[in-house]
Amino acid sequence: MDDFLTIIAIIISLNAVVCLYRAAVGPTTQDRVLGVNIVGTKTLVVVVLITFIQAESFFLDVAIVYALLLFVVTVALSRYLEAEGWEEMK
Amino acid sequence: MAKDIVAAAFCCIGTFFFLLGTTGLLRMPDIFTRLHPSTKCDTLGACSVIIGMAVYSGWSWDVFKLILIACFLLLSSATCGHAIGRSALKRDIRYWRKESGEVDDGHNA
Repeated sequence: MDDFLTIIAIIISLNAVVCLYRAAVGPTTQDRVLGVNIVGTKTLVVVVLITFIQAESFFLDVAIVYALLLFVVTVALSRYLEAEGWEEMK
Repeated sequence: MAKDIVAAAFCCIGTFFFLLGTTGLLRMPDIFTRLHPSTKCDTLGACSVIIGMAVYSGWSWDVFKLILIACFLLLSSATCGHAIGRSALKRDIRYWRKESGEVDDGHNA
């Protein structure tokens, strides 16, 4: 079962690397925020999988804090980008 | 063992939805259509994998933490998608139109 979980974690990590393409070349800044959000969610799932691969229970606390931090970062960036007079980053 | 089979099935479903989300994020034409597969990838994919891990871990305190993470992801991914979509709407990013057939990059709005 550990080998299976390792394979799942590797597949999700490769997905996250592919999603970095949208965060790098996304035409608008909202695309970049969305790509970073998706990469963060996949990292969260990989941390949860590492908890059971390594059989170390404290990684779940790291996952909870990571989920909270990801939510705050995305909402704060979105509210910041809503502001008037903000120039589009080319 | 039955527990491992159920956990493996949930993990496979979650990985499949992650693949769908990644494909949609790369292939969709503008930000509003990209929001749709990416939030599905958050809710269905991540919550399936986390529920599978909750089944695999058995009865312990880890189950409550995993259910807490899953419930928080259900709330936060919808809120993040709405916040990004409202931000794009207020910045007047143009939609992709099927008639023109061209991908609008948002700079010529």
